[in-house]
Amino acid sequence: MRGADELRRAAEFVVVPALALAISAAIFSAILLAMGQSPAAFFQLLWRGAFGTAFSWQNTLQRAAPLILTALCVALPARAGLMIIGGEGAFVMGGLAAATAALPLLGWAPAPLVLLLMAIAGTAAGALWIGLVGVLRHRRGVNETIASLLLAYIAVAVLSFLVEGPLRDPASPNKPSTHPIGAETMLGPIPGTSVHWGLVAGLIACLAAHVLISRTTTGFAIRIAGGNPHAALGQGLPVGRLLVLCCLLAGAAAGLAGFFDVATVHGAANVSLVAGYGFTGILVSFLARHNALAIPPVAILFGGLSAAGGLIQRRLGLPDATVALLEGVIFVTLLTSETLYGRFAIFQPRGARQRP
Amino acid sequence: MPEAFTIPAARGAALEAIGLSKRFGAFQALDRVSLKVPAGEFHALLGENGAGKSTLVKCLMGFHRADEGEVLLDGREARIRNPREAQALGLGMVYQHFTLVPSLTGAENLVIARRNAPAVIDWAAERRRLDAFLDRTPFRVPLDRNVGALSAGERQKLEILKLLYLDQRFMILDEPTSVLTPAEADEMLGHLKAMAERGEITVLMITHKFREVKAFADAVTILRHGRIAGSGRGLTTREMAAMMVGEAPGPDKGKAVQPLRREMPRSHEPALELAGLFAEDGDGRPALRGVSLKVAAGEIVGLAGVSGNGQNALVEACCGQRPLTDGQIFVNGRDFVPTRRAFDEAGMFVVPEEPLRNAAVFGMSIADNIAFRRFEKPPLSRRGWWLDRRAISAAGRELMARFRVAGPSPDAPIGALSGGNVQRAVLARELSSERISVLVVANPCFGLDFASAADIRARIVEARNNGAAVLLVSEDLDEVLELADTVAVISNGRITYKAPIAHVDRGSLGVYLAGGSDG
Amino acid sequence: MTDAGLFAVLVAMVAGAIRVSTPFLFVSLGECLTEKSGRVNLGLEGTLVLGAMVAFAVSYHSGNPWLGVAAAAAAGFALGALHGAICRLPRVNDVAIGIAMMSFGTGLAVFLGKPYIQPTAPRLPSLPLGDWLGIPSLALALDVSPLFLLGIALAFLLDWAFRNTRAGLVVRVTGDDAAAARALGIAVDRVRLVATALGGASAGIGGAFLSLFYPGSWNEGLSSGQGLMAVALVIFARWQPRRCLAASLLFGAAGALGPALQSIGITAGYYFFNAAPYILTLLVMAGTGSASRAARHAPGELSITR
Repeated sequence: MRGADELRRAAEFVVVPALALAISAAIFSAILLAMGQSPAAFFQLLWRGAFGTAFSWQNTLQRAAPLILTALCVALPARAGLMIIGGEGAFVMGGLAAATAALPLLGWAPAPLVLLLMAIAGTAAGALWIGLVGVLRHRRGVNETIASLLLAYIAVAVLSFLVEGPLRDPASPNKPSTHPIGAETMLGPIPGTSVHWGLVAGLIACLAAHVLISRTTTGFAIRIAGGNPHAALGQGLPVGRLLVLCCLLAGAAAGLAGFFDVATVHGAANVSLVAGYGFTGILVSFLARHNALAIPPVAILFGGLSAAGGLIQRRLGLPDATVALLEGVIFVTLLTSETLYGRFAIFQPRGARQRP
Repeated sequence: MPEAFTIPAARGAALEAIGLSKRFGAFQALDRVSLKVPAGEFHALLGENGAGKSTLVKCLMGFHRADEGEVLLDGREARIRNPREAQALGLGMVYQHFTLVPSLTGAENLVIARRNAPAVIDWAAERRRLDAFLDRTPFRVPLDRNVGALSAGERQKLEILKLLYLDQRFMILDEPTSVLTPAEADEMLGHLKAMAERGEITVLMITHKFREVKAFADAVTILRHGRIAGSGRGLTTREMAAMMVGEAPGPDKGKAVQPLRREMPRSHEPALELAGLFAEDGDGRPALRGVSLKVAAGEIVGLAGVSGNGQNALVEACCGQRPLTDGQIFVNGRDFVPTRRAFDEAGMFVVPEEPLRNAAVFGMSIADNIAFRRFEKPPLSRRGWWLDRRAISAAGRELMARFRVAGPSPDAPIGALSGGNVQRAVLARELSSERISVLVVANPCFGLDFASAADIRARIVEARNNGAAVLLVSEDLDEVLELADTVAVISNGRITYKAPIAHVDRGSLGVYLAGGSDG
Repeated sequence: MTDAGLFAVLVAMVAGAIRVSTPFLFVSLGECLTEKSGRVNLGLEGTLVLGAMVAFAVSYHSGNPWLGVAAAAAAGFALGALHGAICRLPRVNDVAIGIAMMSFGTGLAVFLGKPYIQPTAPRLPSLPLGDWLGIPSLALALDVSPLFLLGIALAFLLDWAFRNTRAGLVVRVTGDDAAAARALGIAVDRVRLVATALGGASAGIGGAFLSLFYPGSWNEGLSSGQGLMAVALVIFARWQPRRCLAASLLFGAAGALGPALQSIGITAGYYFFNAAPYILTLLVMAGTGSASRAARHAPGELSITR
């Protein structure tokens, strides 16, 4: 009886998103038909470009890695009842701090040490950036959504200021950057693949976040504070400190993503860091319903979509923004499908129906 | 131009309700209630919380539809299906909470309330008409300022002005003076009384304050347990109090739980001491104005009071949900600051009212909710950080059985439980500790059936018998009188009365409940 | 700094304030209307970009830039209506939908706008308000778009409508107290739907300014986040249309100060002038954050100010 009820509930979490994806596909097919393209060919190529070959898988995972970490930047505070949308800022500050931390070490310190210090600096910078949001919320009652958004813009300004001013490497005339950390220091891919270590870090972070939230006493307290802050106060829980803790950890995740972007892709901090990972992460977290274990699959789905973009552009002659549009359609329909939960009697536990 | 201005001598209507009955499930909220309010009368409606006053006026205003009975307006039968129909018939109501929009000015609030507000508002013309309208009423309210910036008294006057402006001349006022100072209340009621005497309006006012009834009402109807307990003109305070709180309970009823109650050795040191507590409500108005109260171990102090007199703020202040602006709480002689460690060390437990809103997390499981007080301790967790989910589930199952929480399984979300079962689950959490030193309970049996209420009351007495100092905050006077060793009354944020149960007589208690003085 | 240098900076700031502020003005007025009704639309960035693209494409095909402006408003209206229609469903999060709509609007614009990156379309005319001064640099600065004047008129119109029309009062009641609005017989969801759609239309016009006046061409990186920052701007302006005008000019001038200083050789602090409005908004929020809602002038139903 209970098992059947749980199965019903679980089925709801599969069927509703699947329905939303099907509707997205239908809407997008209509758009393609209107443009004189074949939806069948499109989705076939989409599959091939995202998951069809080992190469496309690697490409997909590569793109999913930063999304996993920036999604965590939304999911953790969400469990504490906060809506943070400024992961982009923590990502940028993380990358900038990592690149800056490497500067005094380059040339003499061993690469692993440099990378370690870079990772620490990036994580800490991200943590402080979002932690500030938590402190402002707790101490001054400042809305965390808007504060984090403003701080994201301020972070981009700080980055631009530093890479064009004090930290600018004179050897980067076209694209102002910090001094590159150098190929010898950069973090290589996971052996046997072209995927960088950020993916592993992201998976570990998701697992750790899941354990923290659902298996530890601190996570239990966070869930109480997020579910009902008023009740949490009545239990003597330090609600403000728990909020700030979640913000710190969230920022650390995004900052770590920034570090990996510098250490594995760019080799220096520049405006390429501002690529919208923070914003896509928000949507990934929402689609995963802020559940840390659901984040990697969702991130991989969207990583796959962007990985397939190039192939689709080449083969079908469609604009490279095609997958961006598809992504937008999916985001909107999936988030709208939230309203369907609880609407279908078939998914409701039998016991709940006779409740007094 | 709205009708209000074209009929300079609008009259208040006469209203008669005949045999109104209303059931909510098994609960008989109104039982054949009849009420007659002639045109131009100022009629008071008295009764304890839950006596059926609100249900009665909601039936008149069309929020509820009575199961039986009929309503006559000026002698003609009126079928009122929703509030809008009531308003169209000239029935208007002023609620306990304000219905004006705070960011609009008084004038904007009045004009937008009109059904036929013009698409483009000619403020010069509107102001001329509003001023002319105001000249015919005794109320003076600044109409240019945002309502949010007005005092409570001004807002309440504006609520009444709105009824006049909309030509709703049978006015139902639900405790209209609860937010006012006595001077403001007298001024407002005096004006209404004068208008009623001129026949311009008819007033039906719900109140708890005998002073106001005696000073302003022509007639009074008293409800108790959904029935008419009495009515008439010129009743004395004592007579009204007796009708409102009922006869003194018979010898058997009063003793029903007495055998449970052990004589406790009284310690001299209070286990819980509230010393001059001050706190504000959400809008920055004073909610507690110097509450001082001592509760000894093994004693139940029953704090009675009409709802909205600071009980909420008091309970919240005790458990850290509301900051104190002044004062101190002592538990076992030590300053109590509501941290988790302090709750634990002091053995302090709290059962607030409406537990699903104030003491539970809707989306977490029943077992999780029951574990709130001790989740970081063994056996529910190991080494203070690793949750043992199996142990939490098992402990939840065991306590659900002990406290008779009827639910599908300990792992089901608590939001799926009925109100009574949520209450029992929270009691299971707060009452299952080995050593309860202080227990604060608020309206623990509100909305529960008789058997559940008896069960919960027995457990509160049991905690007391085990040596807990119990502060029972309740709006149910019978509950207070049944359980308390010492009875206190809170009124307008202050303790106005305190006496051992043996010295309490219901009649005088009723007077304190109804405003504090023996007027 | 010489007097001539100072003058040049001032003129550049005036010019920049006028040019840069116009899109800010339209998105903030749109957001102001939406938020006054009690809803937040974080997706105006997408609306702005789609508006820019649609305006450019229609102007290109029809040869009439004003048709482009109208089409941009219609596209914005449609996106806003979609946002409003989705947000009225239960359990849907308006912040998340806003960001998804931003992604959708931008994606749609870039997808459909690919063919319009190269060509040039008829641009909006400008009104030479400063020619009579006889100072070329000032004349250039005061060579304003009619859309700028339209925006100013819209700010005053909104301000007037909020106070002097039934519709304006209905929007304010809905945004401040939904329960009171329902008691007055107002269809809360419908009011919010219309307010969000009209807000989107305004943001669409802001986009038309970008592609048809300044910078006056269509490309993917056209917007520098003006749409997203509309929310901050409205908070800064305390939900008042006339202050939205002042705040937009301030944001525009701050954005123009950096390049202006650069033009006379001062390069330090360029990006901080860009960020100044955001820092200022954050400080304003921190300064008034713990005060009561009344002091913040925020509509009572707004999720982002709680």
